[in-house]
Amino acid sequence: MSVDESAAGVVVRDVWRHFGSVPALSGMSLSAPYGQVTALVGPNGAGKTTLLLVLASLLRPDRGEVRVAGLDPVLDPYGVRARMGWMPDTFGLYEQLTVAEYLRFFADAYGIDRTSARSRTAELLDLVHLSEYGPQPVHVLSRGQKQRLALTRALIHRPSVLLLDEPASGLDPRSRVELRDILRGLAAGGAAVLVSSHILTELEEIADRLVLVSRGRTVSEHTMAELTRSAASRYRVRATYPSALAAALGPLGVTEASANGTGTELGPLTEDQAADLLAGLVGAGVRVVAFEPLGSNLESVYLEMTEERR
Amino acid sequence: MRPPQVWLVAMQEFRIRLRTGRWRWLLGAWVVVVGGFTVLLDLALSGGYPGSSVEAPGVPLFGILMLFVLGLVLVVSPALTSQSINGDRERGTLATLQVTRLRPMEIALGKLLAGWGVGLVALALTLPFTGYALSRGGITVVRVAAVYAVVAILIGVVCAVSQALSALLARSITSALLSYVAVAALTVGTLILFWLVAPLFTEERVGPGGEYRYGVVRYDKVWWLLAPNPFTVVADSAPHVPPRITTDGDFIRVDENDPLSAIGRWVREIRTPPRTEPVSYDARFTDPDPPVWPYGLAFNVLLGAGAVAVTASRLRTPSRRVARGVRIA
Repeated sequence: MSVDESAAGVVVRDVWRHFGSVPALSGMSLSAPYGQVTALVGPNGAGKTTLLLVLASLLRPDRGEVRVAGLDPVLDPYGVRARMGWMPDTFGLYEQLTVAEYLRFFADAYGIDRTSARSRTAELLDLVHLSEYGPQPVHVLSRGQKQRLALTRALIHRPSVLLLDEPASGLDPRSRVELRDILRGLAAGGAAVLVSSHILTELEEIADRLVLVSRGRTVSEHTMAELTRSAASRYRVRATYPSALAAALGPLGVTEASANGTGTELGPLTEDQAADLLAGLVGAGVRVVAFEPLGSNLESVYLEMTEERR
Repeated sequence: MRPPQVWLVAMQEFRIRLRTGRWRWLLGAWVVVVGGFTVLLDLALSGGYPGSSVEAPGVPLFGILMLFVLGLVLVVSPALTSQSINGDRERGTLATLQVTRLRPMEIALGKLLAGWGVGLVALALTLPFTGYALSRGGITVVRVAAVYAVVAILIGVVCAVSQALSALLARSITSALLSYVAVAALTVGTLILFWLVAPLFTEERVGPGGEYRYGVVRYDKVWWLLAPNPFTVVADSAPHVPPRITTDGDFIRVDENDPLSAIGRWVREIRTPPRTEPVSYDARFTDPDPPVWPYGLAFNVLLGAGAVAVTASRLRTPSRRVARGVRIA
């Protein structure tokens, strides 16, 4: 799925980079549009971190075309840095500083004047729910809080492009939901957000678009909506009278179904097939009380797609 | 390069250092060592009898004390910066600096200033003991100021070289070790090289009347090997101790047993071609041999400047080269 590149915060076209004799990027291409969250997903060693380093103006690609906020990070690194925020998977925090000192230093490093830095810091700490931690030293923060502080650092200069390396890894479900809300809010504000992960389900509710990468190459680009529609997964159906349900399934074309104490499992079905089946069951007078997908269908898509490349 | 940004990095680095180390204990130990040395040295110089009369006891007291302090700062300085770049890489904090609008030179100089500053604090803590030596007579404030200025510069040079090694090497252990090797090369290494190379410049001379032949080692051809040595630079750059002039107009030396003055005299003598006639002390004082220290100091300052340039070039991003085993972030 390609994107109008003039509206993209990140454009990568046929980018190569190797370390010694080890290839890290072998012709990767992708784009991340403004106003959307793009997920960069692939197994460990797929080149995600290397690509983000190239985009963050830290690493020079061997060849290929890179544009971040419309600028080439090799030719104009300072232009890119003024418009881009980057959060490494290691966070890169100074444990000895207080939260407020840490942010003040980076505001200064980005050349933000003191008055706007103060209001910006307060605004961001409020956004990531760390307002009361200003005078606390960084080392007392939990992993989730440290990650949000690192995110605050990446946002301090109001970047229009945000690059996050494995932001969701190691977070508890609550922190993950908060991360989702923050990133969705930034995208709604017009930023291009590119988020990497090796676990697709981490980003299921965060991302609008998905770029699957493997072995330094792009495998495919999708919108999330398109994926969930086409992805097939198993469903569990429960009705007030299991016998009525079993009787109705056959005529509706479902040949394989297994009933157990929690309901009847069937499929795999795509979303369209599932919707048709539900309508059919209701139309046949079956009193359906539950009709739910089993597990994530994205996970199966991901496994399927990376399997092809083995 | 913008000075406020250099200062910003320096203060940040300084604050972090202040909160990680046990500075009160370290600096306290430093003061105890230097103070204890001064007291024992003062007793030793006065023959174990406090108050016994030695001609200008402040001269050897200051000279030996400063050689001791120089030795100590050469041991301490590499530790101040030998992990400042690769240590930050290991902690993942370097790349977050590099993606800001700070320039590589600003990061390099700021970090150097922070390490150098700690070294200068340690040096400043030896001032009371120097003040005591000053009160014992024989040395001038100018001599004290010159020696302190040169030691301060040399601390900066060692910090800069150690920092460059930390920028070049992936492991902080390796860069720390190599920093000490670099200091050893400057101090002991130059001396060993000098003694090994000098005999290669032996000239045959014919004795008076052609009766016998003898060899003369031309130390003046290899004097420059000693010039970079920090001890040479400090000793030779120190303004000479003026002799006491008696009422009869005689010069009386007061730096006879001062090693700092002796090193300075020795390297100047080495630089001068062998004389055929012996020279009197008076003549040497009124018409001194050409100095060695400007070359040594220039060498060290260039070494330090080169090290800063290397550090800055290794901080430049986007980088093409990545050292083996280095994680950028």
